[in-house]
Amino acid sequence: MKCHLPKLYLLLSLILCGIILIFEKNISPYYYQVIVYIGINIILASSLNIINGFAGQFSLGHAGFMAAGAYTSAVITSSMHISPGSLASYPAFLFSLICAGIIASLFGLMVGIPSLRLKGDYLAITTLGFGEIIRVIIQNLDFLGAARGFTGIAKLSDFFWVFGIISILIFLVYNLINSTYGKGFLAVRDDEIAASAVGIDVTRYKVIAFVFGAFFAGIAGGLYAHFVTYINPSQFGFLRSFEIVVMVVVGGMGNIIGVIISAAILTILPEALRSIAQYRMVIYALLLVIIMLLREGEFLGGRFNIKRLWKKSPAET
Amino acid sequence: MPLLSLNNCTIQFGGLVAVSELILDVNANDLIGLIGPNGAGKTTVFNMITGVYQPTSGEIFFDKRNLVGKKPHQISHIGIARTFQNIRLFPSLTVYETVQVALKKNISYGFFHAITQFDAMHRQENRIKETIFEILDFFGLTRFKDEMATSLPYGFQRRVEIVRALATKPRLLLLDEPAAGMNPSEKKELMALISQVREHYKCAILLIEHDMKVVMGICERIAVLDYGIKIAEGSPHEVQCNPHVIEAYLGEQV
Ligand SMILES: Nc1ncnc2c1ncn2[C@@H]1O[C@H](COP(=O)(O)OP(=O)(O)OP(=O)(O)O)[C@@H](O)[C@H]1O
Ligand SMILES: [Mg+2]
Repeated sequence: MKCHLPKLYLLLSLILCGIILIFEKNISPYYYQVIVYIGINIILASSLNIINGFAGQFSLGHAGFMAAGAYTSAVITSSMHISPGSLASYPAFLFSLICAGIIASLFGLMVGIPSLRLKGDYLAITTLGFGEIIRVIIQNLDFLGAARGFTGIAKLSDFFWVFGIISILIFLVYNLINSTYGKGFLAVRDDEIAASAVGIDVTRYKVIAFVFGAFFAGIAGGLYAHFVTYINPSQFGFLRSFEIVVMVVVGGMGNIIGVIISAAILTILPEALRSIAQYRMVIYALLLVIIMLLREGEFLGGRFNIKRLWKKSPAET
Repeated sequence: MPLLSLNNCTIQFGGLVAVSELILDVNANDLIGLIGPNGAGKTTVFNMITGVYQPTSGEIFFDKRNLVGKKPHQISHIGIARTFQNIRLFPSLTVYETVQVALKKNISYGFFHAITQFDAMHRQENRIKETIFEILDFFGLTRFKDEMATSLPYGFQRRVEIVRALATKPRLLLLDEPAAGMNPSEKKELMALISQVREHYKCAILLIEHDMKVVMGICERIAVLDYGIKIAEGSPHEVQCNPHVIEAYLGEQV
């Protein structure tokens, strides 16, 4: 039965998380860290994909939502004095992540509202500004450590949490986009006037996309904070937002699997280039340019076409 | 009591009065033509009725409800559907999904059911699926169901747009130049389609069309706009003989 497929998937991936949990002790700390970063970036990119890819609202403020979540959850677990490994740490961490999501989605709501009036570049600039505002506010709040950062966060994130949340997120997004309700997002992205003419409340859909996307960005922030154990505002600058946008664009706007894969590849790439440290960013940027030039349609599911390197795109000719 | 009535509707874009003091009634089950030279304001009338533009002054009543100030999606829910002069299909949706989107108002579940797939949702989704197949079957589009709507031949794209509009179960259907760009045989099919729609869906139709054969062939009543002013209204014959209309179309055979 087709309709049970997502539930089956959820079960399988949660079991997989459990298995990984058993073996995680045998992985070297460096690989462990890279894999967790991949997971966090998958959550960030997939959640931005809801806003940028499905609802078509070009947002450059995702790091702001991430920051809101990171600080919220850090404050909660720190004030509860949770120690890693204790039985109480699991529900407490879950609670802090949910709060992180809720606070981030409140910010999503605040950013979502101007998106009702703005389009394209204007929206991108506004969301960029919002992300920076969140960062600057944190920088000036003394109880959050201001520019010095927030230290002593318990190390609660691990494989289980990160990949468990990926499983849930992908399950939810997959369901959403395959439902009659969720098809409305694609309609809004494609043509707002036509969508509203068939009874789609465009405003509502855009706001929901921002709130839902920001919720998981906040959770990703919480996971991140409890993995690195030290956060400061400069970790959530607009370069972070930009990285996430690149993951979504390379993976193919609105392509669930493509975005997961591109998030993984684009996390590994800078790491793999670490040995030639000084040229790292040059090569990374060059690879991005080539990927963007080569791709036709989507990264996955779309085709790569070498000719595109020297051919003009149809829009120009 | 007419289904739709426009009372002295005026709309201005800066200094340009696109539609001026328009009075128009549409009764249930009417098929009315709206004609006029290019730039006469016909599409603007549709945009006012569907809430894309708000009239500068005047009232629009539909089934005793004032439409002025309502948003396009609310007006769709009240029971008015439209097609667009420049086809506006969703480029990333298949024919099946295009109809599915238009059936959104038939579902009562919300966001949280959609993401978690609760059972109430499955029942509704199954019913939606049946409805989509019924509709596609009725309009002979079943074989295209998995094609991207925008990849279909032109005539079929127009058809999909009409089907999408009808899927919202409207009581009034607004068609903006459905025959534009069609060849004579496609036009014939379209005329057959329109009368089929009327019989089966029992909705009133307001039709903008430049092709006089189509308009004169199927409309019972015709209103003529010129520079935003209604210069004539009546049966096809009356309109054809009206000197104002002949003047507006200057030299064109009406
Ligand atoms: N959004 C707008 N802003 C400014 N002027 C507009 C706008 N929409 C329409 N107009 C003007 O209103 C007038 C009527 O336009 P409309 O599109 O309604 O004409 P039409 O009768 O549908 O013509 P056609 O047969 O070419 O489709 C035109 O002069 C047009 O330029
Ligand atoms: Mg027009």
